[in-house]
Amino acid sequence: MKTFLLLLIFSSGGYLFAQQTVSGRITDGHNNPVYGANVYLLNTYDGTTSAEDGSFWFQTSETGLQSLVLSFISFEKFEKTLEVSAMQDMHIVLKEDVSALDAVVLNAGTFSAGDNSRVSVLKPLDVVTTAGVAGDFIAALQTLPGTQTVGEDGRLFVRGGTAEETQIFIDGLRVFQPYTASANNLPSRGRYSPFLFDGITFSTGGYSAEYGQALSSVLLLNTINEPDQTETNISLMSVGAGLGHTQKWQKSSLSINANYINLAPYQELVPNNENANFQKPYENLGGEAVFRRQFANGLLKVYTAYDHTNFEILQPDINLQRPVDFKLNNDNFYGNTSYKGRLGNGWSIEPGMSISRALNTFNIDESRVNSKEDAAHLKLKAGKRFDNHFKLNYGAEIIFQEYSEDFTEEEALSKLNYQNTIFAAYSEADIIFTKNFALKAGARTSYMALNEEVKLAPRISLAYKLNAAGQFSFAYGEFFQQPQNLYLKYDEQLKPENATHFILNYLYTKPGYMMRAEAYYKIYDQLIKYNTKRPGYDSNFSNAGSGYATGLDLFFRGNKSIENLEYWFSYSYIDSKRDFKNYPAKATPDFVAKQSASLVTKYWIEDWQSQMGFTYNFSSGRPYENPKTTGFMNEKTRNYHNLSFNWAYLIDQQKILYFSVSNITGSKNIFGYEYADAPAIDGKFAERAITPAADRFFFVGFFWTISSDKHSNQLENL
Amino acid sequence: MKKITFCCLSFLLIILQATAQTKYESGMEKAFGLWQNEQTTEAANLFERIAVAEKNKWIPYYYAAQIKIVESFDMADPVKKEQQLVQAQSLLDAARANAARNNVELMVLQALLHTAYITLEPSVYGMKLSPVISNIYEEAAKIAPDNPRVVLSKAEWNMGAAKFFGKDPGEYCDDLKSSLKLFSDFTPEEKFWPEWGEDRAKQLIKANCGE
Repeated sequence: MKTFLLLLIFSSGGYLFAQQTVSGRITDGHNNPVYGANVYLLNTYDGTTSAEDGSFWFQTSETGLQSLVLSFISFEKFEKTLEVSAMQDMHIVLKEDVSALDAVVLNAGTFSAGDNSRVSVLKPLDVVTTAGVAGDFIAALQTLPGTQTVGEDGRLFVRGGTAEETQIFIDGLRVFQPYTASANNLPSRGRYSPFLFDGITFSTGGYSAEYGQALSSVLLLNTINEPDQTETNISLMSVGAGLGHTQKWQKSSLSINANYINLAPYQELVPNNENANFQKPYENLGGEAVFRRQFANGLLKVYTAYDHTNFEILQPDINLQRPVDFKLNNDNFYGNTSYKGRLGNGWSIEPGMSISRALNTFNIDESRVNSKEDAAHLKLKAGKRFDNHFKLNYGAEIIFQEYSEDFTEEEALSKLNYQNTIFAAYSEADIIFTKNFALKAGARTSYMALNEEVKLAPRISLAYKLNAAGQFSFAYGEFFQQPQNLYLKYDEQLKPENATHFILNYLYTKPGYMMRAEAYYKIYDQLIKYNTKRPGYDSNFSNAGSGYATGLDLFFRGNKSIENLEYWFSYSYIDSKRDFKNYPAKATPDFVAKQSASLVTKYWIEDWQSQMGFTYNFSSGRPYENPKTTGFMNEKTRNYHNLSFNWAYLIDQQKILYFSVSNITGSKNIFGYEYADAPAIDGKFAERAITPAADRFFFVGFFWTISSDKHSNQLENL
Repeated sequence: MKKITFCCLSFLLIILQATAQTKYESGMEKAFGLWQNEQTTEAANLFERIAVAEKNKWIPYYYAAQIKIVESFDMADPVKKEQQLVQAQSLLDAARANAARNNVELMVLQALLHTAYITLEPSVYGMKLSPVISNIYEEAAKIAPDNPRVVLSKAEWNMGAAKFFGKDPGEYCDDLKSSLKLFSDFTPEEKFWPEWGEDRAKQLIKANCGE
């Protein structure tokens, strides 16, 4: 018998060793079979692919202790070392990979834009190819729900908050002067060009403990890690010209660009309304440079920007016979250095620093203000990733600001100076329980040296995925912000203002469209109040203000219903009242419109090699105070409408002609009214409507890219 | 006796070496067989097993990645497609770790993977990845101007761009035709070196070059 067996073994292929069978069944956590998984003994060729019922079976000549490996898309890799003889009739349950692309996302309050994530609301090009935006990424964000169109200001107003309640960060570091210098009732734009960013996160509330000193919102801009190629960009525009160059080396790259804008020729052709009579039209000269260097375990980025702005305008003043002569000179420098490094063992470290200097000279008729603001942000961030389920982040930062001002009026000089330092530290945990349930919880503590205030701000955000398409998220947080310079320079003892956010979000995504609905409730406390017409030495300041904002934001984006058509629609409803500044009672502030909506469309016409787009913005009337009526802030402006159009024509692979026009229908928009301080002899208050500087704005540009390959163009940069 | 033992031993060594080589070869051939049989998942899994076991070969990783990329072009579900491409990228990265820096075959495959991303969502990835792809082909053409897959893939990419901009793709027909000669002259550096592309070149010539 023995001989027979031996014979059999030898004759069947001549193997010296007997084959052993490895077999079993693979399921997921819900006992569904896993089909197509790679099952094998590590470092051998022996293995198979699991069948449709999840079963696997293969033979091996290996013996003793071996590692059995199972790997399959969207599941965590399984590895187990045991005796080959014991690898039979196994039942293996694969764990879902919680970092998979279709996992739940913590997104209450947050819009991601410009990156490639599935929940991105704005695609990389959108920031710059949306009609009516004219290359200003701030204006592109104003087509998202939760923002307010405040045409005479231009800055970001989020969910009943003032523009100062939004902070902007580049590569995690504070930007101190994010907007271009401007005059009363003339809108400012985002100062930094969208060319240099490839990921934008815009949070309208409930954001991470990493960010502080913002009551309403944070906007996070990330500069490009690695440019695609060496290239030169030339742009010629109806309002100026620009030149840019990117040089790429093996491990590092440098991008520089310079822009010159002068509105004088344009205003010769298309004169402004009489309320915006420029003596010296807006002129701006600016430049930016970014250097990046890859190290074996990290990435260093150095960003610097400088710009100079000047203009002079005659603006009518309701209290004066003749217009006020306003002249401005602004010089602004910003530098930002950050390093992202991996230390091994799941640890990462990110030191960074930003510095800023803003010099302003205002001449208002005969008086003159020279101001200087220096600021710095130092930050050290560390993270430890334990596994796919658990991550801890810590950080500490110092924000330093020094402000000085010389005010000269009729030869009399008054000086003003103050310094403020804020220390803060935070810690936050990211816990992903399953692919369907994730939590982020943290706290931030800050110390304000000026008034020795210590504040603790807890933040929490969680998300639950219902099915493949839908998920709910919730966020809660406490937010503190030190009062603005405008108040602190008169009263250093003012305490930080406070907001509490509650946010509930529902997100539904299907290939071709995305729907997002978000309800929020926000409580304001400790807001600054004063008892004079304008803040000044004679004002009495206090933290006695308070308020609330509650509302619903809807967003829908689609690109599949009509071929070559992309569109998105936003709608916001808000109910907000606050008692702050010198308000005599709680009222809806003048920057809050109850309802606003935007529809953005983009259509690609292949035969014309053109992309055409329309954007329509609507806001219901905004409140204003009319001294002729009883009560406070009881009047409302008419509704706001703006229909814009743009057309990008690709002459060839490297040349683009671009045209845009805003407010095609010529809607006479009114942002508010100004009233005389005292009634005239007839007992009536003189009144003046605040309107845009021009009803329409036309823009023509020619963009040319010169690179070694002949196919890239600046559509990305428009 | 010693002589005989020596003889036997060296004979055994030769056999062992031969079988060691055969193991890789037979494994690879089995994987190609599965692929030909349209058992793509099984084929990709086997290529990956061989790659993991061999430790320092880029070729099995190359084919595992290639199968995933080619398969992704026909996938409808964007989430599954993206997952597949993420997996292909990690296989390609593993291949790169085992290959020389200027391996143009891997560069061509990387460009192909980026192209698959563009088909995933042109409005998101088109403008972002187009210059990256162009750049890869430029680089590859500098390193290996006579590699037929470099010439073919670059010409196909340029033809696509020309069509998009309403230009005549016929401009690149000469490149395609020159690739045919390169295909017939091509000598692989080792066994199982990529050899695909000739049929594709013929197909493109037929469709675009009026022949």
